Amino acid sequence: MLLQFPAANNPEVDLKTTYDAVIVGSGAGGGMAAHVLTAHGLKVLLLEAGKAQDTSKILHSMQWPYDHPRRGKIPPEYHALTNEYSIRKPPYAQDSPYKNVQSYVQAWGGSDYSKTLVVNEKEHPYTGTRYAWVRSRAVGGKTNIWGRLALRLSDYDFKAKDRDGFGENWPISYADIEPYYDKVDLYLGISGHPENLPYLPDSKFQRPVRLNHAEMHLRETLKGMGRVLTPYRAGVTTDGLKHNKYRSRCYGRGACSRHTGGCDIHAAFDSPTGLIRPAMDTGNLTLRTNATVYEVTVDKNTGKATGVSFIDTETRKNYQAKARTVLLAASTLESARLMLLSKSSAHPNGIGNSSGHVGHNFCEHVMGPSVAGFMKELVGKPRTLDDGRPGGFYVARFRNLDKRSDFLRAYGYEGGSGTTMIPGTAYTSPGFGEEYKKHVRDYAGATISMGAFGEVLARYENAVGIDPHMKDAFGIPVLRFSYQFGENERKMAADMAVAAREMFEAAKFEIVSSSDKMLPEGWSIHELGTARMGNDPKTSVVNQFQQSHDVKNLLVVDGATHVSASCQNPTWTIMALCWRSCDNLAELLKKGEV
Amino acid sequence: MDRREILKLASGAFLCLQLPAAEPGAPLFFTPDEFELLDKLTELIIPTDDHSSGAHAAGVAAYIDRTVAEAYVPDEKTSWRRGLAEVHKLLEEPGAQSAAVLTKLAANEKDPQTEAEKFFTQLKQTTAFAYYSSSLGIHEEMGYLGNVILEQFKGYDAS
Repeated sequence: MLLQFPAANNPEVDLKTTYDAVIVGSGAGGGMAAHVLTAHGLKVLLLEAGKAQDTSKILHSMQWPYDHPRRGKIPPEYHALTNEYSIRKPPYAQDSPYKNVQSYVQAWGGSDYSKTLVVNEKEHPYTGTRYAWVRSRAVGGKTNIWGRLALRLSDYDFKAKDRDGFGENWPISYADIEPYYDKVDLYLGISGHPENLPYLPDSKFQRPVRLNHAEMHLRETLKGMGRVLTPYRAGVTTDGLKHNKYRSRCYGRGACSRHTGGCDIHAAFDSPTGLIRPAMDTGNLTLRTNATVYEVTVDKNTGKATGVSFIDTETRKNYQAKARTVLLAASTLESARLMLLSKSSAHPNGIGNSSGHVGHNFCEHVMGPSVAGFMKELVGKPRTLDDGRPGGFYVARFRNLDKRSDFLRAYGYEGGSGTTMIPGTAYTSPGFGEEYKKHVRDYAGATISMGAFGEVLARYENAVGIDPHMKDAFGIPVLRFSYQFGENERKMAADMAVAAREMFEAAKFEIVSSSDKMLPEGWSIHELGTARMGNDPKTSVVNQFQQSHDVKNLLVVDGATHVSASCQNPTWTIMALCWRSCDNLAELLKKGEV
Repeated sequence: MDRREILKLASGAFLCLQLPAAEPGAPLFFTPDEFELLDKLTELIIPTDDHSSGAHAAGVAAYIDRTVAEAYVPDEKTSWRRGLAEVHKLLEEPGAQSAAVLTKLAANEKDPQTEAEKFFTQLKQTTAFAYYSSSLGIHEEMGYLGNVILEQFKGYDAS
């Protein structure tokens, strides 16, 4: 029997103490900071704007859809923004007749699970250019719904400027971060197959996900093209973790894809059971939920951070927390918002923002271009079990390695093949009647599809700032977006679609549909880069240990510090960087140097 | 527990059974005529064949009726009612055959233009979800093998 995360919220915690560290946000970055700092024996206060939830009570992962009153869908008073992102401008939900308006992730199947995990846009508006901003306010944040693809970055990313002259290099190289990737792998568990690629380094893998027939065929085909299809590198423990009593190993129930992520046996990494619960067991961690932080407080004389101010999400009472160091891990955009909101005489442009770069160099992944088809040999074959695993496959980047493309940087594909509980062919098969029904049945196991994720260039002009007028439900000024895809993204997207077709044609798959359309900005849920790291305080916000250049006892430990987006998914890098920075911080605190 | 309490409980249970059964199977939102047409259309889209039973047996119309009945925005209700009326009109035309009418509506299903075409696409997608998420659809029709605890996924090692 797995131990569950306590769902009780704890409004009254000790706020008279000056903690060694206060952490804002409990997702991948905040959870990791809590784990590392408490392991060093430091006293830590972790503030989370949302509630603690017991996943096992809200995620009925093995419930059949017909046993749920709405077949797993959200209740009628909920509305999922999908098309709105492309036809309207923010703020999106202001005139909506629905009680709860949530991001597009609610439109996925089985999304009743995430209705309490993602924010209501009516309470949390924003302005400016369109952006599909998926936010989770709950203990664990977006690790409760993440897609689990856990990739490493390489020097092709950290030193990308050396290769193509664009943007900035990271202040670290792969050799600096490699031992911390190893630590994250071993502490949290990761599944994958080693490929020995310099541009997609291997992890300390547990048992890999297996490939089915069509996937294996595509892997073999791509080998001939010098490209690599590898089993999904999942942030999932497939062999189990002896040191964590809150997590089970993966039992291949196929539940991952049915519930917008989420794992009620916690085989998939989530911050509450992977990091926070073990940190609480050290006796060094205090968790305060329903705590919406709106300002980093500052000592007038020294300009150093003294703690944070927060409002209780339920009682609307204001509180102050005091700490020797402040770590922001509220998510790339919320951490930037918090820095910009924290204006004082010492920091008139917002805390840590003497460079003027906070909110800028905002980047992410562009997605949308995709291909879907069938492997003809599999049509009408006996049923196979294809979804009993945390993911299908990943195609590693292949552009701008040796030859130069007409765009900068690269992209990879995520994909999978075979049938699922509710077959995709039910929606794509043409016509009606017996022929339609037979088509759905015969083709369900033969389907294969993949979609691309590409690096969006970190450009200074892509930015968020504070809206001068609009406030959220708590009276806190909201973000205004000034962010758009550019020419490089458009060229890359066109190439993603062409290359996808080319690979399916080479594999002799029958292509049913393909798209070269980019989904709206934000769709990848991989926002990065609003407080980038660097060696030069004039052009970067934090140093290589994620410490503010201006305020030595302020750290930013989430995706905000990424210098470029890479095309590889960010979660594992967020945690490896955070671990490295917190080791360094613990050392500095010991020496009294912050 | 004494006998009187058992009797009280029994009569309570009796009442509970009686109340909702007053109108057995009555639709929650659609009129009986609308419901009959809806049921007929869903069965045309996913019929009973040699392999398994179809939408009627899977209770697809009842599922759609339940979801439309609890729709939060009135538009969602009226669009279903309007759509059914459109199709009804087409079926009432002299010499109209239901299969031929649906074939025409399905011709543009990827990019529907008329009200009736748009309704067909909505009806088909909803019918597909309701059927393939039903017990009949998942087990009898599709023979889905998952949602079980596996020791190891069958497949190929990548090496």
